[in-house]
Amino acid sequence: MAMAALRREGRRLAPLISPRTITAVRSSPLYPTLEDEGPLGVRHISTQVVRNRMKSVKNIQKITKAMKMVAASKLRAIQTKTENSRGLWQPFTALLGDLPSADVKKNVVVTISSDKGLCGGINSTSVKISKGLHKLNSGPEKETKYVILGEKAKAQLVRDSKKDIELIITELQKNPLNYTQVSVLADEILKNVEYDALRIVFNKFQSVVSFVPTVSTVLSTEIVEREAESGGKLVDLDSYEVEGGETKGEILQNLAEFQFSCTMFNAVLENACSEQGARMSAMDSSSRNAGDMLDRLTLTYNRTRQASITTELIEIISGASALEG
Amino acid sequence: MTLNLSVLTPNRIVWDSEVKEIILSTNSGKISVLPNHAPIATAVDIGILRIRLNDQWLTIALIGGFARIGNNEITILINDTEKGSDIDPQEAQQALEIAEANLRKAEGKRQKIEAKLALRRARTRVEAINAIS
Repeated sequence: MAMAALRREGRRLAPLISPRTITAVRSSPLYPTLEDEGPLGVRHISTQVVRNRMKSVKNIQKITKAMKMVAASKLRAIQTKTENSRGLWQPFTALLGDLPSADVKKNVVVTISSDKGLCGGINSTSVKISKGLHKLNSGPEKETKYVILGEKAKAQLVRDSKKDIELIITELQKNPLNYTQVSVLADEILKNVEYDALRIVFNKFQSVVSFVPTVSTVLSTEIVEREAESGGKLVDLDSYEVEGGETKGEILQNLAEFQFSCTMFNAVLENACSEQGARMSAMDSSSRNAGDMLDRLTLTYNRTRQASITTELIEIISGASALEG
Repeated sequence: MTLNLSVLTPNRIVWDSEVKEIILSTNSGKISVLPNHAPIATAVDIGILRIRLNDQWLTIALIGGFARIGNNEITILINDTEKGSDIDPQEAQQALEIAEANLRKAEGKRQKIEAKLALRRARTRVEAINAIS
């Protein structure tokens, strides 16, 4: 049985033996270290090389698995906060309305993205939508400016829309997110940027595998008044008598600022959740890929090992039979 | 007829249930809201919110925000709140004294404004405790 197997192996290696001179010339300058040429002129990748590859792929698999766990635990922490903050902006929408179709002269697109990479495609989708909004809202009288939160969007938008960027803010997640920090940020934006409508672009966290890019619109007070008078969804606002403070306009101004900071808070939290969720799924698929690669490499390794054993055996046996005569 | 009251902060929902009456402090004074109140939207000052359910008054200290009242539904959106029962009386009293001292020391417009705000907050918290007991 063994002899039959050996004969089969010999027949398999035979075609490699004949074009011997050509292989000898070709192999040495190109792959001096990789290929091991035995006396029969058989070319095979050394097991050492395959073993090195296996080790590095295994390391990658371990690292991506660890990153997935880290992302999962961070997600759990942020998820409760996000769900609690969702209740806050709904009354605003009920009172002041969310009008994405409001036609205004000065648009400001606030793009929220992550600082770190390896989180799937969420940042690219946010940037794509921001660019789409920009295109939609640029015309003879209208203009659109960007306010960027996060390194990834900054990298992508600085390349082609540098002149339209008003403000860039990065390293948002160094300290755990809380409302005071975001309200200070919102204040900064409101102070430095002239706007009629603010459109916040972020990824809403539907579930661990689904992140929906959304746009929340916050209108400035003049536009709100204009829309309220022209009828439509905002008519309800007039039915409320506004108290507290000197003028109605002042209250509405404060209200709009408060609305902006609440919506920003919610948007930043949702985006952080989506980032962690996307990172979890990206790292998961990457560790699975590494596992597949490892399987294939193991097969190659075993084949290489067996081929080298077979070559050794053939040498020994042919040497022995030559001695016997 | 009861009012549905929701008190929301950015971090959590503080209150969400039916009540009989509330007393809210706004920029233009304290207002009491009974069922079938006219619809108003108002700014809420730093002060206490008193809630009555079944002849029992509860106090929550509010630190600024907005309120919308209409159709027997009250929505109060606040930057920060503290339930009266959660405040430690001694700590609140100390905070009040520190705030008063700071106000006396404050120089310059900005510090004075900040000290005044801190004082009002401390006072509100002390009031919240006293109002229950």
